[in-house]
Amino acid sequence: MRWPSLKGRRLVSALLFAGAALIAGAVIGACTSDEDQQQAQAVEQQQAMQQQQQQDQPQAQVSGDPRGNTVQLVKDRGILKCGVKQTQPLFGFREPDGSVVGFDVDFCKAIAEALEVDLELIDASDASTRFELLANGNIDVLIRTTTITASRDRELGVDFAQTTFYTGQGFAVHAGAGINSTADMGGSTICVQSGTTTEQNLADHFTDLGLSYTPLGGSDQETQDAFLAGRCDVWTADQSNLASRIGVLENASDFVILGELISKEPLAPGVRDYDSEFKDVVNWVVHGLIAAEEMGINKANVAAMASNPPNTAVARLLGVPFEGGEVSTLGFDSVGAQFIQRALIAVGNYGEIYENNVGDAVPRACSLNALASEDKSNCPPGTGGIQYALPYR
Amino acid sequence: MSELPPIPRPEQLPLPPAGGPRKIILPPHRERARRPWRIRAREWVNRNLFPSLTGTILTLVSAGFLGVLFIGVVWFVFFDANWNVITANRWLLFAGSFPREEAWRLWTSIALVMFLIGLAYGTWSSLGRRDSLFIVLTGGFVIFLMAHGDATIWSSIWFLAAIGFLYFGYYLTVWMPRETSPRRVLQQRVVGGLLAISLPLVLVILMVAGGANTRQFDGFVLNLILAPVGIVGGLVVAIPLALGRASNMKTIKWTCTAYIEVVRGAPLLGWLFVALFILDDIMGGDLIIRTMVVLAVFTGAYMAEYIRGGLQALPRGQYEAAQAVGLNKLQSMQLIILPQALRISIPPIVGQAIAIWKDTTLVTVILTLRELKGNADSAIAQSEFIPDRIEAYVFVAVVFWVVAFMMSRVSQRVERAQGIGER
Amino acid sequence: MSAQAQHSGDVPLFYRRGFRNVLQQAIYVAATAIVAWYVYTSLDLRDFGFGFLSEPAGFAVGSQWLTEVDGVTSSRLEIYLVGVWASLRAVMVAILLSTVVGVFIGVARLSSNFLLSKMATLFVEIFRNTPLLVQVVLWYAVLLVGAPVIQDVVNVGDFFFLSNRGIAIPWPVPSGGLWGVPDWFVGVWVLVLIAAALVAMRVRASRQEIERETGQPHYPNRWAFSIFAGAALISFLLLGVVVSIDRPILDGTQYAEGMVIKPEFAALVLGLTAYTGAFIAEIVRGSIQALPRGQTEAANAIGLSGYQRLTLIILPQALRQMIPSVTNQYLNVNKNSSLAYAVLYDDLFRVATVIQNKAGHALEMFFVIIVTYMIISFAISAVMNVFNARVTANRL
Repeated sequence: MRWPSLKGRRLVSALLFAGAALIAGAVIGACTSDEDQQQAQAVEQQQAMQQQQQQDQPQAQVSGDPRGNTVQLVKDRGILKCGVKQTQPLFGFREPDGSVVGFDVDFCKAIAEALEVDLELIDASDASTRFELLANGNIDVLIRTTTITASRDRELGVDFAQTTFYTGQGFAVHAGAGINSTADMGGSTICVQSGTTTEQNLADHFTDLGLSYTPLGGSDQETQDAFLAGRCDVWTADQSNLASRIGVLENASDFVILGELISKEPLAPGVRDYDSEFKDVVNWVVHGLIAAEEMGINKANVAAMASNPPNTAVARLLGVPFEGGEVSTLGFDSVGAQFIQRALIAVGNYGEIYENNVGDAVPRACSLNALASEDKSNCPPGTGGIQYALPYR
Repeated sequence: MSELPPIPRPEQLPLPPAGGPRKIILPPHRERARRPWRIRAREWVNRNLFPSLTGTILTLVSAGFLGVLFIGVVWFVFFDANWNVITANRWLLFAGSFPREEAWRLWTSIALVMFLIGLAYGTWSSLGRRDSLFIVLTGGFVIFLMAHGDATIWSSIWFLAAIGFLYFGYYLTVWMPRETSPRRVLQQRVVGGLLAISLPLVLVILMVAGGANTRQFDGFVLNLILAPVGIVGGLVVAIPLALGRASNMKTIKWTCTAYIEVVRGAPLLGWLFVALFILDDIMGGDLIIRTMVVLAVFTGAYMAEYIRGGLQALPRGQYEAAQAVGLNKLQSMQLIILPQALRISIPPIVGQAIAIWKDTTLVTVILTLRELKGNADSAIAQSEFIPDRIEAYVFVAVVFWVVAFMMSRVSQRVERAQGIGER
Repeated sequence: MSAQAQHSGDVPLFYRRGFRNVLQQAIYVAATAIVAWYVYTSLDLRDFGFGFLSEPAGFAVGSQWLTEVDGVTSSRLEIYLVGVWASLRAVMVAILLSTVVGVFIGVARLSSNFLLSKMATLFVEIFRNTPLLVQVVLWYAVLLVGAPVIQDVVNVGDFFFLSNRGIAIPWPVPSGGLWGVPDWFVGVWVLVLIAAALVAMRVRASRQEIERETGQPHYPNRWAFSIFAGAALISFLLLGVVVSIDRPILDGTQYAEGMVIKPEFAALVLGLTAYTGAFIAEIVRGSIQALPRGQTEAANAIGLSGYQRLTLIILPQALRQMIPSVTNQYLNVNKNSSLAYAVLYDDLFRVATVIQNKAGHALEMFFVIIVTYMIISFAISAVMNVFNARVTANRL
């Protein structure tokens, strides 16, 4: 009979040791990342605060998520966690060097600058999980081509700030396929991103038309690949999305984007419900960048404008005194009067963000003389658009 | 075309020196083996390729199939494929958002792990010619990838240094005597201990003093971190579970059984869904930490079943003998039962380790973590690489295959060397 | 307790085995209860409930067969069941195919033919050591890019169509009854056929038994076949079901009629088949190698051919040994079918995540998912247990 060798016993002790070492490593890891600890503490404090409030005001209990003050949370942490897409060219996209760039990303940068914190971009590419990321606190703000809808606003614990991009649900087809409108699409296979408003609009629209179709649902990248490979006759998504994705292709002329829109898709940053402090900051950063374009303030002249503001409106927007007058924070005490100025310095005004990221593929045509067919939705109101800043005063 | 040298006929061979044995009588198989290679080759071909009509047909069909496959692969790899999608996205695939200026931490960790692997190889096994060939091929593949585009020569040098460390560790230990002696035991303990702390050590190197935060673990680096955590964590979870399920206390047995069966009942994707949506309410923490917990919990349930198999395979006599020499329950478990049970269950545990290595790709599917496959998706979203999906996925498959194949080879070698898995 | 105390005499209570047992379990239960309570209280259970499943779905799924559930009028539960049915189809086909592939490759690995066995080894090593997710997306990419687009469809005599929209093949469909019976009578007919098959198997087994005992021929196979064929014919005439073969038609860019195997389904099934097949091949090889060599030699000695040796002697014996491991692989197929998520196939997991995205209720959806997988796993285990019992019962 053989007694167990020493090897086996060593294996057991090595395993126990490994477990202990793993736990020790985790502890060390936890100690080194004291940001996380701070965050945890902040969250706990807030939860305690919130519970206190809820006890004080019983009606507050109905109004849900006890996560409260994101501005304070972000400032304590020193990092803004911004959920962006990483798979959509022009809006949120990963470059070969690992960096993420795009229209949405610039708004993340603007908000982070306004809050004077670092920015961490978190992948929220999957449409199916994005709201859960926000609700769970994995991200602070969701800027990911997300449409404002009533049901999302009410049911998913998300609150929307000012629209950053107006678009609608459009359709792309293969050139020469003989499809000119949705009425020609009976029986066709349609690629659609699952878990989106597009999917629901499509179902509703075809029910209204009384036509049948076969959906092929996936992530937006998967549906794009399927459409380009000829798996689907039609690809439906936000028209800006279609334009941006088809615009960058070498064989862009093989595809046609139909003029027909079947829905309004205002894309807006999402924040957690019941946090008006943070929502206001996000909201007014966006409005501020739009207002800056209306006032002619851009990245290049913002410093000059701040040192010598031409009028009171500009001075107020940039948070500087006008001819020796008082500076008003307009109640934005938690971020300081100059939060819009900081955002402007970082990314420029709305028009610049648009031109830097999206302009080439989806021209904005901001002139009343431009062709009527070109999209003007995101232009300032005087030039035929609806991208309109609320008064900052 | 050069003439082949004439094959010496037996009578032309030099005769053994006079006075020596005139004729050596060999057993038949040695005698056969002494015949010229041409005859042996023909015999081998006849026996293995053309034994009968059906055999010949099978050979021809297989040869045709293999030929077509070979030509197809060569055509794809060398002519059809556009490997720029890989070379242009090297860093994205390898480490993604890991801070580039902290790359030395990655290289140091890799060198350290290579060194430890070398030590372990030298202690318990030996590097054959095949292993070396494999290392050279893999290393050449990596260097080839790194030699393109804007990469500095330093990454190649770092990588070569890492391979150097592998051999350094190997030659440090391989010459030491293998007989059981206190020194040998000490050597094994030191190497085992180093292996056991390697994972936390690597995490410390990557993270402390201005290193990366857990959010920046990305690309292939994320796979390399998640899989060991899943494996080690799984074992730590599995041993108490297996003992619990084998326990004769009803409450413990039932809860452990329920745990194992429930976890094994749903796919890993489902449990990752839990990590994303539900675990957050329970334990909070970073998503990557929650993912690690889920991987450990998931792997633990499977490994527990294998260890239980090992426990059941032990003859009852072992339990009785342990009792007879007066060990208490804890002692007999720790000294007699568990060591043997673990030895028996090493092959399926390694199988599960390979499975978890492959399953680290799943964190991309619904979580927001981007490992190698997820970053390959990002690479093919770049407009110039949209047509190159197949290349990107083939690359990912090859990378995973290399590591998984290596793991299975090492486990086979260890099993054979130690007679593990045999009862 | 008192009787025990008398026996154990002067042993203090704390050291008595029974007491210790109870004490340890009590501590354990308390600890478990605390953890469970902690988990329970930290979960967000404010609007826990399954009512959301009966609300309208709001999205349509494409992977339908024999069902026509649209996204607007059907409920979330209905659309989830469509997903379950899609999963079941993939799992059943993959189990069938992977068994065939696995047995073939496993036997081929042991072949004395050098090339064949090396080829089988190559197959196993490639497909076993690559992540299934990558395999599945790779198959899908190959099918989408490699197959011709619908405009260049490959048409084989108007019977088969091949494009990257899928493969269309002829398929039998009920086309009204002989005596005017409704279509759903086909279902009744299928049930009758299943019952007839069961009866035929029963008769065959009992006649085999008699044959074995008496040594007289009792023709079990002929009997079984006659019973089945007779029942099929009679019930067919009685029910009057007409089944016509539907040939696929290409209507513009769409397949119409016939049966269409879509690339999403094909990619998933190919991936599952190759991956599981590689594992089953290893199981088959191990079981055959575990047989005593004498079995092969004995089969050779009585003059059986290679094929006869394999099917009559080797495989039936190896079968007994491999059933538990193969059952495990079948359960894995069930779980791995959730990778349909990556190839746009609307299986239960994908549908469930979309529902969750629309309605929230992550916890409830997770319960639904896990219970569904467990039910399917249980069904597979049950079938395999019955099969196992039959195989081991026939042991000589």
